[in-house]
Amino acid sequence: MSAPNIPNLKTLLGTRRGGSGRGRGRGRGLPESPQASSEAVRDEAVRGTDQDAAGSRVSCVQLGYLHDPYASCFATQQSTRRLPLLNRGTYVRTSAIDSLVRKFIETSPEQPKQIVSLGAGTDTRYFRLRDYYPDAKLIYHEIDFPTNTASKLNSINRHAPLHAKLIPNAPPTNPLSLPPGATSYYSPTYNLHALDLRNLTCATFSSSATNLPNLDPNVPTILLSEMCLCYLEPTTASLIIGTLLSTYFSPATPVALIMYEPILPNDPFGRTMISNLASRNIRLPTLTTYLTLEHQRLRLDSEGFVDGCRAADVNFIWKKWVPEEEKERVAALEMLDELEELELLLKHYCVTWGWRNGSGEGTQESAANKVFKRAWEDMVEQDDRQT
Amino acid sequence: MSIGGSDLDKAIQQLRACRPIPEAQVREVCYKARELLIEEGNVVGVDAPVTICGDIHGQFHDLMELFRVGGDVPDTNYLFMGDFVDRGFYSLESFLLLLCLKVRYPDRITLIRGNHESRQITTVYGFYDECLRKYGSANVWRYCCEVFDYLALGALVTGAATALEPTDSPYAANTTTASVADIDQDIEVETLNADGEVLGRFARASSESNSQSQQNSSALPPAPDNVGAAGTGASGSSNGSRRNDTGAVLCVHGGLSPLIDTIDKIRLLDRKQEVPHEGAMCDLLWSDPDEIDGWGLSPRGAGFLFGADIVKVFNHRNDLSLIARAHQLVMEGFKEMFDSTIVTVWSAPNYCYRCGNVAAILELGEDGSNAGYARSNGDGSAAGFIGAGALGTSGFGGNAYSQAFGSNTLGANGNRRLSGVLGEQHRLREGPGRRYRVFEAAPQDSRGMPAKKPVAEYFL
Repeated sequence: MSAPNIPNLKTLLGTRRGGSGRGRGRGRGLPESPQASSEAVRDEAVRGTDQDAAGSRVSCVQLGYLHDPYASCFATQQSTRRLPLLNRGTYVRTSAIDSLVRKFIETSPEQPKQIVSLGAGTDTRYFRLRDYYPDAKLIYHEIDFPTNTASKLNSINRHAPLHAKLIPNAPPTNPLSLPPGATSYYSPTYNLHALDLRNLTCATFSSSATNLPNLDPNVPTILLSEMCLCYLEPTTASLIIGTLLSTYFSPATPVALIMYEPILPNDPFGRTMISNLASRNIRLPTLTTYLTLEHQRLRLDSEGFVDGCRAADVNFIWKKWVPEEEKERVAALEMLDELEELELLLKHYCVTWGWRNGSGEGTQESAANKVFKRAWEDMVEQDDRQT
Repeated sequence: MSIGGSDLDKAIQQLRACRPIPEAQVREVCYKARELLIEEGNVVGVDAPVTICGDIHGQFHDLMELFRVGGDVPDTNYLFMGDFVDRGFYSLESFLLLLCLKVRYPDRITLIRGNHESRQITTVYGFYDECLRKYGSANVWRYCCEVFDYLALGALVTGAATALEPTDSPYAANTTTASVADIDQDIEVETLNADGEVLGRFARASSESNSQSQQNSSALPPAPDNVGAAGTGASGSSNGSRRNDTGAVLCVHGGLSPLIDTIDKIRLLDRKQEVPHEGAMCDLLWSDPDEIDGWGLSPRGAGFLFGADIVKVFNHRNDLSLIARAHQLVMEGFKEMFDSTIVTVWSAPNYCYRCGNVAAILELGEDGSNAGYARSNGDGSAAGFIGAGALGTSGFGGNAYSQAFGSNTLGANGNRRLSGVLGEQHRLREGPGRRYRVFEAAPQDSRGMPAKKPVAEYFL
């Protein structure tokens, strides 16, 4: 007893097609043709993910999840209110990485610190940190595609609250004196490097090493990859981290890596995620290599972050890291009906953090070398090893 | 200008093609629907056979797949447990189609209210925006919300058979004989895929040969051979006849309420209003069963969590054999809990175009007491129960079935403990025969009708 009067609609295939994610600004104007597989198209799609993230951030700020007066300065699209579960996820992701970063800065506050944000896009973390820690000796670097850095510089130039933050304790230059079409910016505190990260894979100790001005090889440093390395082939991602560690830092320098990445590609949700993103020309090569939290930990270890390899999924972080009263505040912001879906979604993203103390063979480990161990002592990781 | 037979049929045709109908016609349909719904009690009586469906959430193409798999209206008698709107791209077309079918065939389709049939929720989760986008004003949204206020809060299915008439459908490719009971036994549960192929067939617990199929079923926790009778609480007799001593089946979107201990108390509620933030009406639409004792606070911020003890006492007091509810995404489309005293049915495959889940509908057959034979749900052919896509977990079997879907702590032993609490005379009713058809998402862009390319959101 099938219903014969309901047509098998597959026979009508192709009568109406197209209409890419209209009005939402995702995957805009991407061709949906065979050449969609070409590298240029994929690069463009990856670059486009940044505005997606920027929009999510603005949605979170407008609803009160996050305090970020700078988010709206960078979002180029009209803000779209995201679904409550996405807002919740963006909130957890941002505040989790904030906690790790802030604990780092607050450990031995007199000590200079450095952060290198890979594929930073429109991230506002530097500006927010400047508000929290106006006196911190912080050297901040952001690396991204030239198109992204150019538009970021443009936004900074247009918004006084942004460029006022670039040179702390100095009279603000208004606007920044930049040559037209500038894609990079360098200062003792904030540096924007226009660079395709993949260029780092062929750098060596020789003079061919790509120049990253103001990167201090001796200051304890966090490398930050928030949905960045996951768009690269695992070998490429490894080479980039390897080059950064070996070429740009002294072996004695404590260096950490914080990553935010998707996990669990092989369950129904993960498979659907891969195919949905593929239709937007977005591939997540590391996802199919580092399947679980344990794979991510092993990855950190093999990249050289041998003194600590930690990981937790975002669902765990929401439950264990966010204080009860803060949970209540956030839960009250929006009625969130989709609990099963939320849990499913959050379990497919993780934060991993690993570090090396940086004391070479035969060298005495100083207190400074233990900066990450001390900073992150209380950050509980998820114990999934028995499962 | 009343919407008559042919106008209505035209509207149904148009909606089936996923095209919205004019605003004036929406108003007319909504008016007619309210006239019908106002006559319904808070708990609608429904006779088996009936096909029970869970959340739809505006996934129009999947609703059409549901009709393809379950049979069309009016051939099949349907009961939809709410959450027609929000999240998907076609809430408007989905809800209006169901509403038109309700007006056209009032006795063949029952609609009850879900927590998303609410002004407040639809402004957050998409239906309001969709109406605004498709009509340029909020009028249609307003008409629909007025209908929401008149939807019944629950349904009571009576006359369901305890044993299924087995289909003569072929077995699905990955079905092992171990998970298929002989058809001369009392069939309690059968699962079929979208093509109507048998994925599993399970005899009632008291039948002899079940222990065998149970042992062969790898997905199941091992269970003692003799738990069957305790598991069902039935008389333990296995006379092999098509019995009809099953209790009624209560259908409600969410679940139970601490303020409601009898179905009559649901009947006393004043339902014709926006879903309140608290109270019995809110709980019925928002609560969830959970592996707890008694009542618990719901993390959703509305409704409650309720445990097996609550369900079993409620079912006994109200002479129910089963509660069917929706409200929670379950990856396998359906999930039985608490020794099959409650089941979650979820009918939105690949929910939000993102979750990768399969969907299910639940068919309850008619008991054979009137005519001496069970009639199939649809056009009466032998293939009366046709079915759906690959089932994620098809590995369950025999009398351990209920434990596979229930809590470990409340397996047979838990039930024994409970029957002690209830007293010997407080035995639970034998559940109805249950046929689940499991189906996957319809291909979104192959429907020959307006199809928005799904853009599921992720963290990028």
